[in-house]
Order: sequence, then C-alpha cells, then structure tokens
Amino acid sequence: MRRYVLRRLAALAVTLFFVSVLVFVVIRVLPGDPAMIILGTEGSPEAAAQLRRSMGLDRPLVVQYVEWIGRGLRGDLGRSIQYDVPVASLILSRMNVTLPLALLAAVLMIAAGIPLGVFAATRHRRAADYIAMTVSQFGVAIPGFWAGLLLILLFSVKLGWVRSGGFDGWGQGLWPGLRSLILPAVALGLFQLAVLARTTRSAVLEVLAEEYVKTARAKGVAEGGVVFRHALSNAMIPVVTVAGVQLGQLIAGSIILEIVFYLPGLGRLAIGAIGARDLPVVQGVVLFAASMIVVINVLVDLLYGVLDPRIRYE
Amino acid sequence: MTLRPSLAAVGAALALALFAAAPVLAQGGNLVVQVSTEPPGLDLTASPASAIAGVIFYNVQEALIKVDRHGKLAPWLAERWYTTDSKNYTFFLRKGVRFHNGREMKAADVKYVLDRAVNPETTHPYRVQYEAIKDVIVKDDYTISVTLKQPDAMFLWTVARQGSVIYPKEAVETMKSQPIGTGPFVFSDWVRGDRIVLTRNKDYWVKDLPHLDRVTYRFIPDANSALAALKAGDIDVSAFGLGPESVDELKKDGRFQVILGDTTNDVTLSLNNTKKPYTDKRVRLAITHAINKEEVLKGAMFGYGKILGSNVDPLNPYFVDVSKRVPYDPAKAKKLLAEAGYPNGFDAVLKVSPQYSYTVRSAEVLVNQFAKVGIRAKIEQIEWGQWLSQVWKDANYEMSIIGHAEAWDIGNFANPNYYFRWDNAEFRRLYKESEVTVDDKKRRELYVTMQNMLADEAPAVWLFMHPRLVVAKKGVTGIWKDLPVPSFDLSEVAWQK
Repeated sequence: MRRYVLRRLAALAVTLFFVSVLVFVVIRVLPGDPAMIILGTEGSPEAAAQLRRSMGLDRPLVVQYVEWIGRGLRGDLGRSIQYDVPVASLILSRMNVTLPLALLAAVLMIAAGIPLGVFAATRHRRAADYIAMTVSQFGVAIPGFWAGLLLILLFSVKLGWVRSGGFDGWGQGLWPGLRSLILPAVALGLFQLAVLARTTRSAVLEVLAEEYVKTARAKGVAEGGVVFRHALSNAMIPVVTVAGVQLGQLIAGSIILEIVFYLPGLGRLAIGAIGARDLPVVQGVVLFAASMIVVINVLVDLLYGVLDPRIRYE
Repeated sequence: MTLRPSLAAVGAALALALFAAAPVLAQGGNLVVQVSTEPPGLDLTASPASAIAGVIFYNVQEALIKVDRHGKLAPWLAERWYTTDSKNYTFFLRKGVRFHNGREMKAADVKYVLDRAVNPETTHPYRVQYEAIKDVIVKDDYTISVTLKQPDAMFLWTVARQGSVIYPKEAVETMKSQPIGTGPFVFSDWVRGDRIVLTRNKDYWVKDLPHLDRVTYRFIPDANSALAALKAGDIDVSAFGLGPESVDELKKDGRFQVILGDTTNDVTLSLNNTKKPYTDKRVRLAITHAINKEEVLKGAMFGYGKILGSNVDPLNPYFVDVSKRVPYDPAKAKKLLAEAGYPNGFDAVLKVSPQYSYTVRSAEVLVNQFAKVGIRAKIEQIEWGQWLSQVWKDANYEMSIIGHAEAWDIGNFANPNYYFRWDNAEFRRLYKESEVTVDDKKRRELYVTMQNMLADEAPAVWLFMHPRLVVAKKGVTGIWKDLPVPSFDLSEVAWQK
C-alpha cells in the first residue's frame, strides 16, 4: 500500500511537470500579448514594448520557465498582473467558494443520484423506473447555465428567498455563505446527479442478475439486504469510478455557474486570467486544478481497495 | 408701493415652485452598482482600461481640471489657470484640498505627477500626450507653471484626462491595489472577483458632497445575470452591463429608470487602406454607399445610439453631422465598384471579436447589405487578445469593427502606422495645424474641414455612436446622462427622500 501511494505520488510529480511545461508553452504560443491587452487600443506599441520588458516577457522562454518553476517549488507561484496579489493567496481565496460549491453539488449528486439509481433498478421496467429515468433525462438535457437562470428567476426574482448571486464570504457566518451557494450547487449538481443515477441503475441491474444475488434471495435474505449488502456494494466500483470523474467535472463545470451567479470562484479567476493574459495566474490555476484532479484519481483508486477486498495494491 | 408686495409674492411663489420641483435628497445611504468588467488593477497611470476609470476617476482620484457632465472643461483641483500662448501655462491650486491620507495637496505633488507621466521608465499609457512638456516649475505651494516645447491646443484636455489624476507621491507604489486621491470617496476594499467598496470621504473639499455613505461595485459579467440581479433588487444601478435588448422591457417596468445618453464611443468599420481593393478610394466610398446605417443601428443596438459620419462624436464641441455626405445608395455603390474594376464585386473577410457583441451583430447586418452590391464578405470571429494582436497591432486584416471610445482621437487618422494604415499628407497637415492652433474659431474650422475630408475619403466607415445605457432603481438621482469621459461620477448621486 505504501509503495503504491509513493508510486502514485511520483506519477503526480511527473504529471505536474508535464502540465507545467504544457501550460507555460501554450499560454505563450497563444496569439495575444499581455502588455497589449493591458494597454488596449489606446496604448502605443512603444508603451507595450516597455511594459513587456518590465514584466520580464522579453527574456528567452527557457529562462522564464526555469525561474517560474524554481520559485514555484519554493511555494511562490508569482504575482497576479491584474490583481497585484500573490497567485497562491488568490487561488486559496477562490477555493473558499469553489470547493464548498463543488462539495455541495457532490453531496447533492451522491445523496440523490445513488438512491434514485437504486430505486429505478429495483423497479426495473415498472412505472417508477420510467418516471425516474425520464426525470434524470431532463437533468442530462438541461444545461447548467440555463438551469441556473431558471432557478434565479424562480427563487430570487419571483419568490425573493435567496440572493440572485454574489458571495460575501464566510465572515458573515455559515448560513449566509451556504445560502449563496445553494442555487448554484443545485444547478451544478443536476447534470451529474442524473448521470450518476443512470450509471447506478445500470450497475445495480447488472449485479442483480448475478447468481450470488439469486443465492442470497434463495437463502431468504430480506430484499433490503439483497439490494444494499449484496447488489449495491458490488455495484459500487463503476459508480465510484464515474463519481470520481464527476468530481473533477464539478470543478470544471463550476466555471459557467460562477459566471451566472457571479461568484468569485476559481473558474471565473481562470477565465478572466486567460482573457487578460494574466500569465502567472493562468499557470498557477491550471497547475492547481491538474494536481487536484490527479489527487482525486489517486483517492478513487485507493477507495477501490476499501470497497472490494479482492483488489490489492502491492 | 403696490408693486413691491406683488413682486415679493411672485418671487416667493417661484421659490416655492422651484423648491417643490427639486427632489429632496437623502444624505447617506448605500448604493450597489453593477459593472460587467472587473478593473485590471486600479492604477489610472498604468492602464487606459475604462473599467478602472469607471470606478476610480472622479470618485477616488481627481485631476486639476474636470470634464463636466456636459463635456466642458471645469476648474477642479486647480481653481484657475492662465496662458497667453498655449505654450506656457500657470495653474493656481485650490487651497485646503487633502488627500485621503490626510496630507494637503501641494504644487510639488502636481510636479511629481507630470514628471512621472513624461518619464519613459514609468510606462504611462498616455506618455505621448505628455511629451510636449518641457519643464514643470513649482512657483509656490499653490502655484505651478508648465512650459511646453511647442503650443499644444489639447494640453488642457490632457491635464483633464484620467491619466492626469493627482495622487500623493508616498502612495505611488500601492496605487495598483490601494489608490489614494482627493476624491469624494475613499477606497475601502477590493474583494478580487467580487466587489470594490468605496466609502464617503468626510473631509471632501466640495461642501455637502458626496451624498452616499458607501458604494459597492459588483462585477457581474453576464447580462442575463445582471438583469436578474436588478429585478431581484440585489443591485441598485446597472452601469455598463445591460444590452440594448433589455431597454424596452425595463422602460415599461415602473420600478426602474432607464438613462440613455451619448458617449464618445464611435463604432467603426475599419478598413485596411494598404490592402487591395481598399487602397482605392472608389471602393471605400462604394462600401460606405452600400451601408444602410439605420438598419445596422437597429440590428446591433435596437435603434439606440446615433448615426455617425466621421470619427468625431456628438459630445465633441467641434462635432458636425456629416453622415449625409455619403448616403446609403446601393446603385451608386455598384457603379463605383464597376469603375474601380470590380463589376462583380469582390471577396472580403470581416474580423470581429465576440467580446463586444455589438461588433458581431453589426457584422451580420453588414454582410447582408454588402451582398446586395456584390461584396461577398465572410465573418471571422476571433478572441480579443488575438484581435489586438492580428488586427490592431499587425494590421493583418481587411475589414473589422470596433468601438473607438477615446475622446479627441481624430489624430489616429493622421498616423499612417495606426491600424487603418491610412496615409494622407493633406489630412496630416490639417491635424498638425489643429494641434497648434489656439484660436477656438480657427480650430473649429480646421475640425470641420477634417470631418468633411474623412467622410469624403472614407478611410473607414463610422457606423454609429454607441449609446450610454444605465438602468437604475427609481429614486436614485444625480447620475450623468451622457458620458464625455469614461467615468461613473457618483459624487452627486443620491437617494431621493
């Protein structure tokens, strides 16, 4: 187990190295000069050249990369061009929004998606199954941004129960913070909930057809025990695989909902930084997001062993 | 004897009527303003971005001269100035004006600001405009004289612009994130990605201003979200966020007031004058004749805005309407194209950036209009950074559309290296003359000649003036109708009692 974790950590380092090179090169190959974007159509080419020099962008790429990665290894991801604050603190402040948002959506996805899938599987080809799958079909079909707008129209504009967007921080207390995130979390989790429900349904159906389930039933195990102890626990491997991928997608999907609900999250930071060619921020965010996704994948792999004792890591 | 009481009665009645008509303003209160773009830093001397000016200019930082809500120059931190030749200027500073850090503003601060603007090391985005400065001399704490290398008729406008705000020397390093000035509001907080908060400057030098205690700028990039936030009551004012498609609906809604005004933003169909066939004046005129600008305005802006005929906007004191000089006339367009050797028209690529939706909407209308005279135009949408690089910097384009928001930017056509790549010796001569002509009447004549010449030579096609569109809750007063400078002056904004 320890060796496995160490191996995965080494793989993480290699992945991050390649990601760092890739993001560094891609953002610089992209047409569009940061200095020119800062100055816009009113700045002269001379002013842009001067600004490029003062930002150190006129030096060879390799020199820039080595300096950036050297500082990065010491925990310094540089300073944002547009915000004038350290990139690391900027990312951390944005995680205050994106992480709770993704977690809330994940809770919704798991708490509603798995029971819905099990419910549909145990009522296979009956009215309840068709209704559950039709509902989840809607979830798959409705884009998150549109669901977000509909939720705003209903709960903020018509009913006035929650604010239409924005986030004042956790300083005001847990509930005001959570209240700002409920609608976006629902809009974000809706699609993934539907996907997870459908995946769970297929996985449980497959297991329910297995011989050992028939044996359990023949032995007189109660239906609840059959479904939850025998069927669901054995169906969890594909469900956890999909859910792991979905966690990554929740973080990526939060970009669009952070725009709709004007939340100061990581996704909006990334989009704004790409548009403004705020290179240190783009590099920092991509590296951070890549490491998060790799870490989630490692955790999912480790979870396999917990769920299925037959899986060994040595 | 009998006349006096009746006069007094009339006077009293008039005063009463005036008093009744004037809204009673509340002192204090908070205001939440939506803006779509978060400022890229808060230093007006580091970037020309209008998103910075929208928050900081006139609210946190001010200049010696102010462009007022009618577009006229007004004495501000300088209570008066003096020049006989437009080459030597003396400014007399207002006494007792304090920066937000408590220190009094003095002539040495003004010298520091101007010297820093001229210094190439500081990368001031408007450095070219300060290059005429030869010498800045502090006469005493409240008097400063500026000597130029040659007369510059635009110098007072330069002193009035956003890059000329007066800040204390000791705060220069932190201006990007904590600007200090003399304005009616003190910068309080910037939660990156979410909001900027300004609070009332209790020691503001203008008596009884500002009215508001606290202003919060919220960054809401999506127009639909901004509209929802307005309707849900989460914001009080949408300053630069809503599209023209929302205007009719909001006008009918009794909770809001829609403020539509003029701006200095001229939406331009740029042509590359060094690329064939745009090198030919007949082709450029044919393109102009082929365009029904009313239709473009309807298609792109739902009819809000004003048709333009040249680069000079209606807020400019020298503006003349030349939009009828080359009218919509597709038959004439076809004839001119045939004369120029293109009886079957030609293929064209129109590069636009979807960052500004009006450019794409205008392009779609134009493509249809061009087709009617045989010009087969194709729209190519590119990202803003690419647009700046390809079109604006390298002039690697045939046609493009963009709004030129800068005031007094006719000089772009006197610069053969500007991305229009138009090189006309006569126009350059006229412009140069206008820059050193101090007499207002003569200068106006030069501007009229230049506007006519631009219309007749058609180095670009000026489509329309982008309207100012502000939506506010009923009860908010004092918002500027027009936008002669890219500021959102909140000093006189108040809630009606």
